[in-house]
Amino acid sequence: MPIRYKKNSAVFDAIVSVEEAEDLLQWRQKNPKGKVDFSACTHLHAANLQVLMAAPLMVSAWPQDERLKTWLTAALRS
Amino acid sequence: MTPLLQQFLSEARDFLQGISEKLMQLEHAPDDAALMGELFRLVHTLKGNCGLFDFPEMLRVLHVAEDLMAVVRDGDLAYSQTLADRLLDAMDFVSLLLDEIEVSGASSASHASASATLAQSLRELISAPAGSTVVPGALSFTVADATATLPLAVVPEALRMAWYREAHSTKAAPLLWVTYTPEAECFFKGEDPFFQARQTPAIGWQRVTARQPWSPLPDLDAYHCILKFELVSTASRAVLEEHFRYVADQITIVTILPHWLVLPVGDENGGPVYEDFVGAALTQLARGDLVVLARAARSMLELSSAELWLASALRWLLLLIEQEPANEATLRAVIESLRTFEVPALQAPIIEDVTLVAAVVTATPPAASPAAPSAAPSAAPQSDITTSVLVESAINAQLTVLRMPDQVAWLPGRLKSVASTLTACFRSTGRPDILPALDAALAASLAQARSAPLLDWLVQHLNQSGADSVSSPPPPPLPSPDAVPSAALPVTSVAEPALLVAESETRFPRRTEDSAISSKTLKVDQEKIDRLMNLIGEMVVAKNGLPYLAARAETVFGVRELSREIKTQYSVINRIAEEMQSAIMQVRMMPVSFVFQRFPRLVRDLSRKLGKEVNLVLEGEETEADKNIIEALADPLIHIVRNSLDHGIELPEVRRAAGKPAEGQLVIRASQEAGRVIIDISDDGKGIDPAVVKRKAYEKGIIDEVVLERISDQDAVNLVFAAGFSTVDVVSDLSGRGVGMDVVRAAVEQVNGTVTLESQPGQGTRLRLSLPLSIAVTNVMIIESNGQIFGVPMDMVVETVRVPRKSIHAIKSFQTAVLRGRVVPLRSLNELLATDASQRSNEEDELATLVIRLHGEHVGIVVDDFRGVVDIILKPMGGILGCLSGYTGSALLGDGSVLMVLNLKELL
Repeated sequence: MPIRYKKNSAVFDAIVSVEEAEDLLQWRQKNPKGKVDFSACTHLHAANLQVLMAAPLMVSAWPQDERLKTWLTAALRS
Repeated sequence: MTPLLQQFLSEARDFLQGISEKLMQLEHAPDDAALMGELFRLVHTLKGNCGLFDFPEMLRVLHVAEDLMAVVRDGDLAYSQTLADRLLDAMDFVSLLLDEIEVSGASSASHASASATLAQSLRELISAPAGSTVVPGALSFTVADATATLPLAVVPEALRMAWYREAHSTKAAPLLWVTYTPEAECFFKGEDPFFQARQTPAIGWQRVTARQPWSPLPDLDAYHCILKFELVSTASRAVLEEHFRYVADQITIVTILPHWLVLPVGDENGGPVYEDFVGAALTQLARGDLVVLARAARSMLELSSAELWLASALRWLLLLIEQEPANEATLRAVIESLRTFEVPALQAPIIEDVTLVAAVVTATPPAASPAAPSAAPSAAPQSDITTSVLVESAINAQLTVLRMPDQVAWLPGRLKSVASTLTACFRSTGRPDILPALDAALAASLAQARSAPLLDWLVQHLNQSGADSVSSPPPPPLPSPDAVPSAALPVTSVAEPALLVAESETRFPRRTEDSAISSKTLKVDQEKIDRLMNLIGEMVVAKNGLPYLAARAETVFGVRELSREIKTQYSVINRIAEEMQSAIMQVRMMPVSFVFQRFPRLVRDLSRKLGKEVNLVLEGEETEADKNIIEALADPLIHIVRNSLDHGIELPEVRRAAGKPAEGQLVIRASQEAGRVIIDISDDGKGIDPAVVKRKAYEKGIIDEVVLERISDQDAVNLVFAAGFSTVDVVSDLSGRGVGMDVVRAAVEQVNGTVTLESQPGQGTRLRLSLPLSIAVTNVMIIESNGQIFGVPMDMVVETVRVPRKSIHAIKSFQTAVLRGRVVPLRSLNELLATDASQRSNEEDELATLVIRLHGEHVGIVVDDFRGVVDIILKPMGGILGCLSGYTGSALLGDGSVLMVLNLKELL
């Protein structure tokens, strides 16, 4: 499972592929107060990024990879 | 380089040639729908071929060109000069890529932006309403966007300041602003724009935004991409183009000029109240007292909140004082901006890179080109340097065009296009006042059908305006000469143009200027080869006359010595002639891969359509045969493959139920066997059920009841070759029209080939095509009958026997004989040819019988005598004789006599 959905958070695995975007969108709609955990993530497909940008969630952990973190902060905080 | 690529290159050049010819013809007959259709077809085919390879730049341009041609062909857009120009440009570009591919085997990514620009310029024509004139400035679009419309303000000030400092250090790489707007459907193409953006080299800053407001979550389509990536990179333009080469039409790359970075941001705090400070600062600046100015600015900065617009502007002021104390105009502009809260208008690029300056000055002395001063925006509404450079290069291009020779049919069109370009140029540089003069010059040129009047006017105008701008004072935004080191003035105005010109030089050269890349392949008209073939045929015939001559020398004139010498000479000529013949045949040889290479795609498409899984195996693709044979093979093979897929191979579930692997196997194998090309097409499908075939054939009236009862299974299977036969009741777009197998057989027999079909119900079907290697030379047996000689193609002959008259029996009305344990019907050739004479027998009362194979049956042809076997060049009969179906053709023999070759299939 590239994204593990816990009670109130979505934990992103190393690489999250394009297929996950639909599920992620559904989960996002059901959990408006969910949190996202990127700690293990090294890359997520643009479709997932787009879902997260459409309705930003609280990020409980940013990725280890500094450059990915820069990108994600640039995308999700603006 | 693969043979496919080689073929593509050679064909593509033909297409390009054809396209430009058609465009030229259309110039004279713009309403010719047939020409337009032809042009569309050429562009369409070229694009289709290009799609086989990995040349994104070429494909992009051709794709848009095709769209454009489709619009024009449908009459939604009128043919115009601009359209022809741009298409020709596009084709020149394609030609350039072809050259490059020919040399290196690949096209480099450096053409990506040119490709995107061309595609854009073509697309503009599609979207532009018919008749509207777009200024033909092909390269304007990337640069036009470049004016400080970049949202640089969103970049943190600290970062911008760092870049600004960087820009003043030596050897700083120019900053490039990349905007990447992936297309909406990109996720379905397997693209990951985020990954693409992340992998961009040397990113200095980045952001991701949405192109349009987000729709509410329930309506959001996760797979409709509306992202927009923006980033600043210090990598070179070439590297970025390479990186984004597959999406070149979705990115724009803009060079960030250092002065664009000077952009104070922040809270305006109610309005400008710093009048005192501004006044004092300006006085200090005018006095050149920068130390005091800096101190004042610093203390002002300490007093203000860091968030304020004022603070931001002051920080920039301090940075500017530190970096370029001599640039008074810029400093003044920044100070003035404190009063207005408007972004300081810094038009003049502030480049002090001495090495760059020196290089530029030596490379392009400002006075070297007469056109340069005219481009100086003395009268322009704003000194937009990028525009002026483009205008300058456009005008120079027009000069070149005008200097080309006049003796061309499209001269009027050329003159008009030059004039419209010049009109646009002068209008954009704010010189509409000179347009009437231009129109007059154009009219004169058109009247005289010479470029000279227009050219003279342009040169004169350029000299004049050059003189004007030299005498006029420098434009206001430029720093005044006494405040700036004198070298900086001409340099600053030249340095930037030079940079941009360097960029525009990446433009591909015109096709007409190309250095011709010599090709090792000769494309020769097939007619010429045929002519050679005919000549060598005559040579063979003439050569065959020598043995007759030798025999005559010996028998008639009794000169044995001479006869022997003639024979020696004959053997030499014979050897050379044979070699020559085989060499010419070699020229006509083509590998069967020419036909085979289309099958992978065909099988893939068909199996998708039918929902079947098929594994295609091609073998022996390098087997060669004569071009005519290979070409004759193409259609039958396609029929066969379609049949196999449609009727042969079952659906995966049916196959599984039958205990076969879900994936069907289709094998096409070519080989050479005893001077013939054998092509085997076998599948492991359901095979042909003789019972079904019999019933269908009976229903369609192909066989009658008697035959239905008696026919063997093998014969029944062969009924699929009968005309009008079809086993399926519903006509699909694939098959079922009943024109399949009989067409196959006819086509194969046309080139003296045979088809055999074997099928095991449930196991599969196997078709074997046997074709001669060449149809140019035919091997015939000469027979004699009723005092005449005839030829019979050797590939039909099974054996020659002499049958004693007494062993011939009459069964019903047919003569028969038992040969090798089977009953063979005998037919007399004289009877077949409807001559009255009876066949002669030899001394032992035996009849010479030629046993031939016809549709799998043996038939004996009774003749008078056998003569031997010769190779002949068979000439089909022409004129009235062509109607005689009993003969396939005629040939000339060595002694000068004519040999008629029988068509026994028709006679029997």
